[in-house]
Amino acid sequence: MKKNESLFMNLKKSLSFNSKKEFVDFLVRVFFLICTIISASFIFIIIFFIAREGIKPFVTDNDGIGRVNIIRFLMGTTWLEGTVFRSNLYGVGFIIVNTVYITLLALLIAMPVGVLTALFIAKIAPKKLSEILRTTVELLAAIPSIVYGLFGSGVILKIVYDLAKVFGVQSPGGNSVLATVLVLALMILPTITALSEVAIRSVRSDIEKGSLALGATKTQTNFKVVLTSAKSGIFTAAILGTGRALGEATAVYLVAGNARSGPSLGLFQTTSTLTSTMLQGLKETIGIDYDIRFSVGIVLMIIILLTNTILNFVKRRIGKVDVK
Amino acid sequence: MSSKRKRIDNFLQFITYAAASIAVIVLSMIFIFVFRNGASLVNIDLLTNDYHAKYYNGGIEEVTEFSQTPKPNYLDDEDYYSEKWGIALSDEINREGKMVVIVTFVADDSPLLQMFDKNNLDNNDFKIEKDNIITSISFFSKNSALSMYGAKHMIGELDTVTEFREMVFSSLGGGIRGSLITTLYIIGLTLLIALPIGIFTAIYLNEFAKKNKLTNAIRSMIEMLTGVPSIIFGLMGLAVFVPLTVKYTPADSANLISGSLTLAVILLPVVIRATEESLKVVPDDFRNASLALGANSTQTTFKVVLPSALPGILTATLLAIGRIIGESAALIFAIGTAIKDDISIFGKSTTLAVHIWSLMTDEPANIELASTIALIILIIVLILNIAVKLLSRNFVKRFS
Amino acid sequence: MNADVFTIKNLDLHYGTLQALKDININIEKNKVTALIGPSGCGKSTFLRCLNRMNDLIDVCKINGDVLFHENDVYDRNYDVISLRTKVGMVFQKPNPFPMTVYDNIAYGPRCQGVKNKDKLDKIVENSLKKSAIWEEVKDRLKDSAIGLSGGQQQRLCIARAIAMEPEVILMDEPTSALDPIATLKIEQLITDLKKNYTIIIVTHSMQQAARISDNTAFFLTGELIEYDKTDVIFSNPKHTKTEDYITGRFG
Repeated sequence: MKKNESLFMNLKKSLSFNSKKEFVDFLVRVFFLICTIISASFIFIIIFFIAREGIKPFVTDNDGIGRVNIIRFLMGTTWLEGTVFRSNLYGVGFIIVNTVYITLLALLIAMPVGVLTALFIAKIAPKKLSEILRTTVELLAAIPSIVYGLFGSGVILKIVYDLAKVFGVQSPGGNSVLATVLVLALMILPTITALSEVAIRSVRSDIEKGSLALGATKTQTNFKVVLTSAKSGIFTAAILGTGRALGEATAVYLVAGNARSGPSLGLFQTTSTLTSTMLQGLKETIGIDYDIRFSVGIVLMIIILLTNTILNFVKRRIGKVDVK
Repeated sequence: MSSKRKRIDNFLQFITYAAASIAVIVLSMIFIFVFRNGASLVNIDLLTNDYHAKYYNGGIEEVTEFSQTPKPNYLDDEDYYSEKWGIALSDEINREGKMVVIVTFVADDSPLLQMFDKNNLDNNDFKIEKDNIITSISFFSKNSALSMYGAKHMIGELDTVTEFREMVFSSLGGGIRGSLITTLYIIGLTLLIALPIGIFTAIYLNEFAKKNKLTNAIRSMIEMLTGVPSIIFGLMGLAVFVPLTVKYTPADSANLISGSLTLAVILLPVVIRATEESLKVVPDDFRNASLALGANSTQTTFKVVLPSALPGILTATLLAIGRIIGESAALIFAIGTAIKDDISIFGKSTTLAVHIWSLMTDEPANIELASTIALIILIIVLILNIAVKLLSRNFVKRFS
Repeated sequence: MNADVFTIKNLDLHYGTLQALKDININIEKNKVTALIGPSGCGKSTFLRCLNRMNDLIDVCKINGDVLFHENDVYDRNYDVISLRTKVGMVFQKPNPFPMTVYDNIAYGPRCQGVKNKDKLDKIVENSLKKSAIWEEVKDRLKDSAIGLSGGQQQRLCIARAIAMEPEVILMDEPTSALDPIATLKIEQLITDLKKNYTIIIVTHSMQQAARISDNTAFFLTGELIEYDKTDVIFSNPKHTKTEDYITGRFG
């Protein structure tokens, strides 16, 4: 009791003000603090509500369809829409493989192109040209993903379709792994270029001069000294690019073909990613087909978190070597 | 220099040049694609028209007095004219890419103006106008004239009769007025929510909060939001804001408010970071001077710090608008994909970006109209980017 | 009535683990110019900022001892720090006018105190600018941005800004160190004029300046107050050898 009282007195004391101005000041601070708490709480709101909805398919009866087996969900190779087939066969295993595979391939294309473009802008191009290129990259970054999707289905699908014909493969309208990879590579290219450029530009010029003084050519210096010194920053670019590729939804949906089983490893096969799967069956507002999207959402978030952790770990290892 | 070394040098140089040109090629390809497919449809009518065509069934009494108006000079050979009925028709491709018969001229004394609305006899505003689309004309004693046979056939059939049973015609449709208004609503609502909360948070973190672990933890919680893909925000909107708005507003499903709230959360880290950056640029001298003059920290913040940080906040706002205009995945969940003409903030509707999505996921996809909208979006994004560049250049000048 | 404006007793100040001020005892006389001298990092600026509690802004700063302003302890939890700062004005090392017009810079302080009347503000602005000997130079540019003024003008504007609050005391933290010799001379003249109405405490690096303008001088060394006396005594007949070493330029 006594302790409570003294606590109350303390509170009262700290809440007493020497002037009206101090009181207003206090109120404003409290209001700003509330705004800050709201801003900080959203990450938890997201996790909590998506987990709450996403866990339902595994713990409820799903209106008679039956509980979804979580192991089969994670390892499964087929995705059947439950209410249509009256089945609880939801498997995202192959979709996880597809997603990681596609992201990897997109990165494999976008990384060299992006880093070399960054090198060109930062070190090689004359000032005017590099200004133009920098603006170009900024514009590419500002183009909304739905426009990339439109471009993908209007241009890239046709190219892939024709390419498939050359290889003697009948591709369904061009919807394929290759089309998805190309669209994603285009989308992450500006991110990678912009960040790599910052990393390359911040390489100290005395390192460069040191290399040139040793008789290396400008090109040798760029590749052997500048790029290796900017390694850590370039890796950060790769991490952000990966995040964007994993989370991209609408553009991917328009070119992936949305395969229901897999995994699809052939370049001309139709495919599906975690995000494109979430965009299917949009009309549902209740039932398992609604809930299961949240389950896929959880998987997506875990995958992003895992790749981020792994890549950051790798980056730190690279950084250590650098110090030596 | 040895020749091998030179060869390697040249090769590396070449691939660098090639890589750099890819960015330019891609950007121009996107612009060319969007422009070629979309430019033909861009006009003021597109921006002001409804998306959904309204259909009318017109009936007519037997006509005794026909039109006397000759074919106007500005109509060309593609416009088929019936002097008797005072109407010109032509074959065109509409915004969905289908062949249609479109009205290009109606004479003032056309007997068709006496048509009545068969579905609603009290409708006095009923009349056929230029730019209407005629789907079919059915006669009493012969086969109907359908639009698939073309304008020439339709005029020919009309010229042989003095009355018909029914003319089915519709407004042009395919306009984006609804999506344009929705986009403006969403921009307004989202900024109304995100800007105050974001700016106040930034002020708290930068001006008031002690520099300790807790503040850093809060900062990293907000920073974590930037790594969350927008589709996940969409799910959150669906699970949190849709039920919330259904409960406390007249809305009965996903609506513009739930969409704006979702977008506001996406934008929070953007606004907070940009504001904090611009607050950091304001020299501490200003804060000290103000405090030394007996201003309290609230007065200091609002009178000295915020005005100096204003250009930075404006930049953040422009970036936010760009993000709102481009966002699709989150809104597909948080508002839905139904294209509407009558917009209410308590109802479903599409922004321009989601409009593209709806057109592209339709069977068959309407690439022409989608490209037109994409062109509009690209132009807006271009303007916003230039504005941001100019603004930040001025901002840097001011403090250096 | 005590002629002392400030009475400081046993003042200790810590930045985290570092002790920046050690057991300072000093009385500041009314309507006099008191100069604080000493080598860099000796704590003279820190001491100055204790007087209007600008050190509050630094989280790790801990203060023990008494700072009495007219016999009231300014570090008492019930002491209104904002009214203290209106009575104890401050001018900073670097001229720091706000990015506003000349007029708005001067009117800023009064406005914060709730003065809204236009005529009254006009009068305050004019008086303050006149008192700080800059009126003639800026009277036609009151609506121009203060950033456009020269460094010396900016500093006199900052003094005018402090005067607009009608303080009793003006603290000056090396106000001329960023200025050229002519601008410095003008500020020094201004300080001598101002002392009729105000108590001035000035931190300075220049011993000539201290000798020229101050009535009393305090010599700080590594956080301690070594010697405090009439300025002519300090400069002609210092009691402490360290003081003598410093003013004759043997270190610092």
